[in-house]
Amino acid sequence: MMRRTSGWLLSAALLPALLLSGCGGRSDEDGVTTVHIYQFKVEIAEALTAMKAEFEKEHPEIRLDIQTVGGGTDYGASLRAKFSSGDEPDIFTIGGNNERDMWLEYLEDLSGESWAPDVKPLAAEQMTVDGKLYGMPMNLEGYGFIYNKDLFRQAGITEKPVTLSALRESARKLQDAGITPFANGYQEWFVLGNHNVNVAFAQQPDPAAFIAGLTDGSKTFADDPVFSQWVDLLDLTVEFGNPNPLSTDYNTQVTMLAGGEAAMMQQGNWTQGQIDGIDPDLNLGILPMPIDDTAEDNDKLYVGVPSNWVINKNSPVKEEAKVFLDWMVTSDTGKRYITKEFQFIPALDSIEGTEEDLGALGAEVLAYTDKDQALTWNWSRLPNGMPNELSSSIQGYLGGKLTKEGMLKEFQKNWDNLSVQ
Amino acid sequence: MMDRKKRSRLMQQFIFVGPTSLFFFVIVLIPFFLGLYYSFTSWNGISQHTSWAGLRNYLHIFTKDPSFLNSFWFTAKFTLFGLVLTNLLGFALAYVLTRKLFTRNVLRTVFFVPHVIGGLLLGFIWQFIFVRGFASLGAATGWSFFNLPWLGTESTAFWAVVIVFVWQNAGYLMVIYISAINNVPKGLLEASKVDGAGRLQTLRHVMIPLVMPAVTVCLFLSISWSFKVFDLNLALTKGGPFKATESVALNIYNEAYTISRFGMGSAKAIIFFIIVAVISMLQVRATKKREVEL
Repeated sequence: MMRRTSGWLLSAALLPALLLSGCGGRSDEDGVTTVHIYQFKVEIAEALTAMKAEFEKEHPEIRLDIQTVGGGTDYGASLRAKFSSGDEPDIFTIGGNNERDMWLEYLEDLSGESWAPDVKPLAAEQMTVDGKLYGMPMNLEGYGFIYNKDLFRQAGITEKPVTLSALRESARKLQDAGITPFANGYQEWFVLGNHNVNVAFAQQPDPAAFIAGLTDGSKTFADDPVFSQWVDLLDLTVEFGNPNPLSTDYNTQVTMLAGGEAAMMQQGNWTQGQIDGIDPDLNLGILPMPIDDTAEDNDKLYVGVPSNWVINKNSPVKEEAKVFLDWMVTSDTGKRYITKEFQFIPALDSIEGTEEDLGALGAEVLAYTDKDQALTWNWSRLPNGMPNELSSSIQGYLGGKLTKEGMLKEFQKNWDNLSVQ
Repeated sequence: MMDRKKRSRLMQQFIFVGPTSLFFFVIVLIPFFLGLYYSFTSWNGISQHTSWAGLRNYLHIFTKDPSFLNSFWFTAKFTLFGLVLTNLLGFALAYVLTRKLFTRNVLRTVFFVPHVIGGLLLGFIWQFIFVRGFASLGAATGWSFFNLPWLGTESTAFWAVVIVFVWQNAGYLMVIYISAINNVPKGLLEASKVDGAGRLQTLRHVMIPLVMPAVTVCLFLSISWSFKVFDLNLALTKGGPFKATESVALNIYNEAYTISRFGMGSAKAIIFFIIVAVISMLQVRATKKREVEL
């Protein structure tokens, strides 16, 4: 008898452990609804908490529960784990294009929101399917060659180079003046596999069609003239760059520019904070990344949306979630947080960004965008995992393991593997 | 009477084996069969709908995916060196630390400790050592060994992972070898000494045959560890440079989470499972034959 009881006791003790993972209900106590937010931008985590307090003050009926997973951890994998465990967030962040399509069956249509018409077309496109907008672009970011205007003046460069030959000429002048022209952080996969090679995709007459063509076999890397020209630009940066570009990481690269050691680096406006931390008085601008000698189609920056707020279609509190998103981009408090605290380049026309808030780099990116001189970010359109492979192949080329043709062949092989779903 | 006894035994078995079997089912068997099912689908890891793909994933892996074979080649090479070096070092340490050394307890602990630290943490610590520590040692001593770009080139990165793996696991095997060596009857060792055998001869003809059961265990452990290596190279090299240190486990993870082809990743995992199972079985059978019963 005794034995039997203990057996039951044991199973009874085990049961809760098994069930515990299953529950995660949303309880509404005293009429307050909790909206669960899952996001990956570590840089804004602190400001987001401050904003949460202001929102809850204005909307006492809604409580926000913000979880930030990012930096070193794998946000994509942890978001998937959250969904498969049934603990789905109400608001989360994803990238556009491919990620939008992967998550589409979970996404709430936001086309009817009051702010939807204000989203800049460039930012809306990557979250739109069949004319419906499925996310709120978090911000805009842009990149090119960030350059030190004082060092350029010192080397006697008076005109901003916007063609490949002019860039080469400037690099030579810088080198003659004893300045390293380019700080290349080619150890980082995203510097090569996302940003650098994107130039060749974005300079296509129709990037989306070109990418579709690569997948259906009507286009190849080896036969494409733009890719060939892009290699010229890559070669130029290495010829006039720092030694050991393949073992130079992001931090070293930014430090070289900020310390006045190098005159240019291929990076974006997100480096502003870090540069200011080293030398806030630098006189900075962004140059385009030209691949040939026609000025008009080379004087462009590459502008895109790193991430979007989306609402889970199955969430029981999606109306409250919409209230929060709406508040963030329409209320004065929300707008102030976006430009002043997060220091985001706004992706909505209804929010104004000044140079004082965004810094010189952000202001320049915004100016290029508004002048319609922005080309697209295409890595979110490539087959998943492709940027890492592109970066490996380019590193192989830069390290002398592959020829130019070999690198393009390697691109093709990886594309043919990864484009199969 | 008989019936009650039978029932009580059943109950005992249920109590002692039941919970374990339950967990074995829930966290090993069910996921395994789910994985088997997903390997025949083109699931992306997110969607609520999966479509049947038949053998397409398996065909794709063998015809269109060079990275899987690459990672296999790395893992095989890594297993070979990892296996031999950890066992040699583990046995050598055990052999020395079963002699009468007054620091031997301290030393045993020192060599065992790396195994207690998780692989991910070890990877990050060693990354620091390779990148910063070695560089400053190189500057201080001028030895070219320290000035190699350890994680920067394909061949040195391979050895970097091997070194850390051996350092992590040799201590654990040492403990197993120590207990095996301690179990060798003193009488036999003395008898061989009386018969005029030298130290090496004793080791070769008496000690090693008698610790063969431990060798079986240690080989089995080190094969499965090195085949499944994941956290070490994730933290140390992320599989780079140029994919030179991407292990099969890391390749599978990337397939499922970076490339978002869960079905394909599952298919790779199943292939991997079959290969590891076959190799482990062959190894156990081969070393079993060499064991000596007293």
